[in-house]
Amino acid sequence: MGKWSIDRVLSNRQQQSYVVNIGAFCAALLIVALVCILSLIALRGLDYFWPQPVQSITFTSPTGQSQQVYAQVGERHINSAQQNATTDVLFQYSDKHYPYGRQVLIESQFMGQITTAPEAANILLNDGTRVFSQPIDIRLPGEETTSLANFQDVRATVADIRQLIESLREAKLAPIHRDLAQLDLRQVERDAPARLRLYESFERWQQEAVRFETQLTDYQLHTRFSDGSEFFIPIDSIARLSYPGQLDTLGKLKLVWSGIGDFLTQAPKQANTAGGVFPALFGTVLMIFVMTILVTPFGVLAAVYLNEYAPNNHYTSVIRICVSNMAGVPSIVYGVFGLGFFVYQVGGNIDKLFFSDALPAPTMGTPGVFWASLTMAILTLPVVIVATEEGLKRVPEGLRAGSYALGATKLETIWHTVLPMASPGIMTGVILAIARAAGEVAPLMMVGAVKFAPNLPFDGEFPYLHLDRQFMHLGVLIYDGAFHSQTDVRSASLMFASCLLLLFVVFVLNVLTVILRRRLRKRYLRGY
Amino acid sequence: MLKLFEREQLDLATLSPEQTAMDVRDLNLRYGQKHVLHNITMRVPKHRITAFIGQSGCGKSSLLSCFNRMNDLIDNSKTEGQIIIDGRDINGKKENLSLLRSQVGMVFQRPNPFPMSVYDNVCYGLRLQGVKQRRQLDDAVEQALIEAALWDEVKDRLFDSATTLSGGQQQRLVIARALALKPSILLLDEPTSALDPLTTLIIEELMAELKKRCTIIIVTHNMQQAARVSDYTAFLHQGALVEYSDSDTLFTMPDKKQTEDYITGRYG
Repeated sequence: MGKWSIDRVLSNRQQQSYVVNIGAFCAALLIVALVCILSLIALRGLDYFWPQPVQSITFTSPTGQSQQVYAQVGERHINSAQQNATTDVLFQYSDKHYPYGRQVLIESQFMGQITTAPEAANILLNDGTRVFSQPIDIRLPGEETTSLANFQDVRATVADIRQLIESLREAKLAPIHRDLAQLDLRQVERDAPARLRLYESFERWQQEAVRFETQLTDYQLHTRFSDGSEFFIPIDSIARLSYPGQLDTLGKLKLVWSGIGDFLTQAPKQANTAGGVFPALFGTVLMIFVMTILVTPFGVLAAVYLNEYAPNNHYTSVIRICVSNMAGVPSIVYGVFGLGFFVYQVGGNIDKLFFSDALPAPTMGTPGVFWASLTMAILTLPVVIVATEEGLKRVPEGLRAGSYALGATKLETIWHTVLPMASPGIMTGVILAIARAAGEVAPLMMVGAVKFAPNLPFDGEFPYLHLDRQFMHLGVLIYDGAFHSQTDVRSASLMFASCLLLLFVVFVLNVLTVILRRRLRKRYLRGY
Repeated sequence: MLKLFEREQLDLATLSPEQTAMDVRDLNLRYGQKHVLHNITMRVPKHRITAFIGQSGCGKSSLLSCFNRMNDLIDNSKTEGQIIIDGRDINGKKENLSLLRSQVGMVFQRPNPFPMSVYDNVCYGLRLQGVKQRRQLDDAVEQALIEAALWDEVKDRLFDSATTLSGGQQQRLVIARALALKPSILLLDEPTSALDPLTTLIIEELMAELKKRCTIIIVTHNMQQAARVSDYTAFLHQGALVEYSDSDTLFTMPDKKQTEDYITGRYG
């Protein structure tokens, strides 16, 4: 025992109590950190949906004019870069020059008084922009007006007309387009009678549609800005109208609820700073599903080979080391690999072989959701292999012997006895793979994830699932949102809301697999 | 003790082919460099219980594993010599292992039911052979479980997981699993060493019943057990067959000094 041996300073009992205390402290720290992260994301994310009050403010613009506007005031930034620290205020307002909102960052000394404006409404338009103004009444066709109380009825009428136009397009105009395309295909003369007849009916229906469209624009919401100037908004373009200043808590919660609904079901608007995230949510989940379908059989087969068939020699251990090291390769490397190998090489050659008439426009030789899933599958393969091997090792030797003794071949033994018992281990691998794949952004941006995709990878057109299309991903959306967050009052919250959703997606997928694993455990591992 | 006199004795030296279940000739087994079995030559009589006794590591389990070629699963194991069952050498290259192992069933030391229902456990071998008809499987399961004296205990829980059964029930289930394939020889590798005395007794009674249907070869550490249940006993020492005769003779008047030392507990 040395001079500085711990036993001289502390008794056994003290040592134990120190170890327990330090361990408990570390565990507590971990939990506190986790709770902090989660609550930050949850608070900031839910903040996106919480209706903020519209206020009436006066401010002096840099040109020296004083102006009264309806606005939503955002964060205050302490500006310490200058000598005498000032406070900057960020707010978004609407006035007659900028009815659809303008963001301003001014020093607090130029801010006048701020008063609540319960009469002002937050009018969310279909394109994601917002107008802060006070609704007065509703203008109907023929210079008629009606009171605001009839707003819902008028909206219903407008929605009916809108639907009429859509059905007109669908039922009349689209078939004419198809017929014309058929004629083009058969190389019918430009002035053939069939063609002219089609043109004529197209003209007729088109006029009908245009007539309805102009009728729609006659329904307008008459509003007034804080300085008294008037502004008219087509009712057809209004997505939601709310008075944040007049709402009680229940009303606000209702608004939050419908906001979350829109967030989950709508497409992003205004360059991903407003609207919903449905395409990104769909893309993320689809990518993860396809990846799981790809990675599970590959990983399981590789693990079965390594654990059951491969001879126990140096080559096998080299392969094992390689597999473990693959898990540590930076994900961007996989992205480059996916782009260089899958997209350009494999996809390019598939194009040459099967889609040569479409060249030079690539069909498969372009980033898409399938290549992204395949890249992610390669990235998560080591995780699945290692977890499956652990599961395979846990199968008792006696069971294999029992199966062989009944006349089973090696393959039959693996299929009927070993794999079912290893299935909880396989599920563990899948859980880890999902968690890893859902969080990746960098490699995805190289092999198919984009900031904005015009189409979902799934639609009503054969073959319904278009795995060659580019897709949106929540992680990419968050990454994109991080660049807007400095300048926008609300898009920072959108980023946090997307974060919250991503966490939720990973959580739900994990819970599903954990439930599956528990069932498998109960079925195959009870009593072992 | 009365039981001793009921045994119908066959002379091992003059066993006719009809009375022989297995004829082992000059069997040598090596695991790599290690020579495990040395020139084993013996005939196992039909419808009798033959016990292998000997110290741990003397090769009795390895010998048992030769009889259904489970040793093939061990890397660099090498078998020489002949084992003749039903007139053919099972060490031949053309031997169908699936068929052999269904003909020569094996039960291990630790009960190893598969993690599936009792029913599926008993069906395992039959399903591998391609039997799919439900009625055929039902009949086979019932018969095998009756033969293994387990039917009354599990007939109401055929579709419960087999791992919920007790240790003794599990071991009988494993025996039933082998019996479902109608084996002519049943190899038991210390089948009761993981069980309590009462369950051991049940298994021993079961063996006495089963020998009407098939030849039984049992490896055991327990000499009382060997004396109780077996008709013939072989004593192995360091991979060689030292003495092989009917159990009464071997346990009362052993020929060799080594055997006597072992059964009287002087070593081992």
